[in-house]
Amino acid sequence: MKGKKKKEEQDKIIRAEDQWEPVGHTPMPHVTDLRNWDRRLLQTYKPFYAPFCDLCCLCTYGKCDLTGTNRGACGIDISAQQGRIVTLACCMGMSAHAGHAAHIIDYLIEKHGEDYPIDLGDQVNVECPNIRTVLGLKPKTLRDLKTAVQYAAEQLVHVVSSTHTGQEGDAVDYESKALHISMLDHVCMEAADVAQIIGFKFPTSVADTPIVDMGWGSIDRTKPVILVVGHNPASSSEIIDYLREKGLEDKVEIGGICCTALETTRYSDKAKVIGPLSRQLFFIRAGIADVIVADEQCIRTDLTDEASKVGSVVIASSDKACRGLDEVSDKPTDEVVQSMVDKGKHVLILDHEKAAEVAVEAALKLAPKRKKEKPIDEKKAKELAQACVACGSCTQVCPNLLPVGPAIQKVAEGDFEDFKMVFENCIGCGKCEEACPQDVPIFKMMQAVASWDTWKCRAGRGPVMDTEIRKVGAPIVLGTIPGVLAFVGCSNFPNEIDEIAEMVDEFARRKYIVVLTGCSAMVIGMRKDKDGKTLYEKYPGDFDAGGVVNIGSCVSNAHITGAAMKIANIFANLPLRANYEVIADYVLNRVGACGVAWGAMSQKAASIATGCNRLGIPVVLGPHSAKYRRLYLSRKEEDDWTVMDGRKKELVDTEEPSPEHLAIVTESKERAMVTIAKLCIRKNDTQPGRQIKLNHYIDLYKKFFGTLPDDLHHFVRTEKDIPMFFKKEVKQFLQEKGWKPKPVLSLPTLIGTYETEVPVEATIR
Amino acid sequence: MPHPQHLVNILTGIKGAMEMKDSMPLAKIIKKAERPLLVIGPRALEVEIDGKLFIEYLVEIAQIGKIPICATAHTKKKLLELGITPESTYDVIEIVNSLKDPEWKGVKGEGCHDFVLFGGIRTDLGNQALSTLKHFAPHLKTMTLCKYYYPNANFSLPNYKKDEEWKGLLEGLIKGLK
Repeated sequence: MKGKKKKEEQDKIIRAEDQWEPVGHTPMPHVTDLRNWDRRLLQTYKPFYAPFCDLCCLCTYGKCDLTGTNRGACGIDISAQQGRIVTLACCMGMSAHAGHAAHIIDYLIEKHGEDYPIDLGDQVNVECPNIRTVLGLKPKTLRDLKTAVQYAAEQLVHVVSSTHTGQEGDAVDYESKALHISMLDHVCMEAADVAQIIGFKFPTSVADTPIVDMGWGSIDRTKPVILVVGHNPASSSEIIDYLREKGLEDKVEIGGICCTALETTRYSDKAKVIGPLSRQLFFIRAGIADVIVADEQCIRTDLTDEASKVGSVVIASSDKACRGLDEVSDKPTDEVVQSMVDKGKHVLILDHEKAAEVAVEAALKLAPKRKKEKPIDEKKAKELAQACVACGSCTQVCPNLLPVGPAIQKVAEGDFEDFKMVFENCIGCGKCEEACPQDVPIFKMMQAVASWDTWKCRAGRGPVMDTEIRKVGAPIVLGTIPGVLAFVGCSNFPNEIDEIAEMVDEFARRKYIVVLTGCSAMVIGMRKDKDGKTLYEKYPGDFDAGGVVNIGSCVSNAHITGAAMKIANIFANLPLRANYEVIADYVLNRVGACGVAWGAMSQKAASIATGCNRLGIPVVLGPHSAKYRRLYLSRKEEDDWTVMDGRKKELVDTEEPSPEHLAIVTESKERAMVTIAKLCIRKNDTQPGRQIKLNHYIDLYKKFFGTLPDDLHHFVRTEKDIPMFFKKEVKQFLQEKGWKPKPVLSLPTLIGTYETEVPVEATIR
Repeated sequence: MPHPQHLVNILTGIKGAMEMKDSMPLAKIIKKAERPLLVIGPRALEVEIDGKLFIEYLVEIAQIGKIPICATAHTKKKLLELGITPESTYDVIEIVNSLKDPEWKGVKGEGCHDFVLFGGIRTDLGNQALSTLKHFAPHLKTMTLCKYYYPNANFSLPNYKKDEEWKGLLEGLIKGLK
């Protein structure tokens, strides 16, 4: 909807009269305002669909079989249906973060007031690059963050409505809507995390955040143990406050799983990270936790059943996950605690202060009463495995395709090697145990092969500092820092849990900048080198070449896209304000960044990745992510790689497929590493920068594939791009391929290659 | 229609693969193809059948059937060690992306392939890749050579409980292609 009144309303919201930067072309964009940008992107990176389901069963016309050229009763085809489902997934992901943001901002407004100022320390002046770039608003207070989330929520209504039967019917238009809502996901994540940082006084403007203990083995089970699970730190921070107030911080263990763990360790370095999402069921069934406080997202939906089995009690603390429990927010604490301790009652408490008090008091009373079992040892595991009848049901249901059954049979013979591998690769769903007709307690048996070591994780640090961007902006854009890699997302890893650590180690050693969030940030702390050091202890936490940076939880992902935007702003001096197309174009063509979501599982991962894609950041996914149904792929030999030379205002066929894809699944870590190195190549690379990037691409390719890359000729523009070390063999290869020099542009841009109000001049500062 | 070995790959639709238990019809189908292609994935490097790697069976099939190879993931290195230079190297999603284009020139530049065999791809990724071809590549047929049933292929081996049966089929196929 456009109009005079709408513009007046927008101008008021973004305080258009403030002169910090000129207002760009797309303040508070509506669903279709960036449609042409999307269509231009998708002209090169076409949606690739792998339907997970051939049917549509969303309305009572159906079920409709959409196989091949069939259409549904409403007229939809299989491509549009995939776009529709992807759009819905992105809406679900975005709404989870928007819901989180809305809740935490309201909670903090209650505590501090609407006018509570945004202050991210003396090293961060560009406080909210996503909000600045998308809305055109420079947020100053919690109220402004709320405004940003409200705008995103309104857009969500429009996009969700487009998925109703009979509305949108075109695949690419669905993709544009998915891209729009995913861009807004980053707005919501940014609002949530900035609110948390200022409201809870999380670390900011500092790289050297505390190194905290990690692992189920780090928990002192002789003390009362509170487990916090989920993503929202409202309750866990209140628990820490209560413990501090009562002088109990050293007497009660508090550990977290999933992002709440990362948030809690940003609040207190005495809190512990127990592990990623994939270890949730394993830890709960170990029975170590006396009280489990669940907030939102990524919590097992059978949490209360599982807790009951081991005598733990659950406090649900979010309106998004009430779990059918009685709400006791207004009942006296003693009464609630008594019912939990005496009857094992699980409760819903929506008042976080109250939830904290109940959690601590219940843990103190429950812990002495509970007899915590010792972990199962190999002898016991072998005994339990005798019940296995080799029916194979466990193997059939494993979503990660693990040979669970054969491993159990080997355990029965006293051989634990395969079962250890199963645990290392386990994504923690428990379906194997559910399917077992003999009730073999597979998850409990894993205690016999799990390491009970204490690992180390660096606490999340929030936004990349402006001062860091000033230092690395030039080498990133010129290509002499070969890339910024973001390892993000869930722990649904296709193979061993430490594959992420292996990849991070490889690239940090090669002086890429490596940033991490969420479960990926945790798991790299679960691998130690021969000196007993984790990667967080081996590499510095600076956003600089060879740094390994824990940015924070899922909502901290916005600081990664924010860092890319800041490079355009701080280094290249491009205005952010409502200037999305120019900034995304800059990132696509000039910032060698690549996301890696190796264990992506959730709808949130879909929207986070898709938001990166709209900004021009390619993402590499693990093999099971083909089940997301959609990728964005080019075909290097067939596609048109023409861009505008911004300085000469001429269209130039670069013949160079960079970046080659926007969203791609790879099957093995070896292939992923080669792909990551390639996806950091940008048209804007200087010749020394391109030499460095190609040096890593060639070196990794030779290491894992044994030859020079088959497609190397596509990425060599002139002979000066050839790395010195490989000069002779590359020249010979190029000769065999009939290679000819390609144009080198200093200002490649897509602006001017499609219909847009943005002039080419806007790309130059 | 049989269930796949891994239930995450269960078919939610009505067009599923024809289960092929006999090697001779399979060999005939392959022989009839004008431009076949064999896509080899990394599981073929890990799975042994009676002491011989699955990839070695696949190489034999390619050589005897004169079928060009596309090496996916990191399989190229092993193929080179076996003395085989694959005609192309892509990851599985990339080769499928090309295959769905009937105008593509194929790995030998002679035109798009009309019959594609797959072996050694993770079953979930493989079944998704086959889904793309089932829906968007009516110009070609697909067949899987792994020991599991793939619902989204045109022709698939059954779920073999015993490796000997699988070995028997692969050896029969090699013989039939001679």
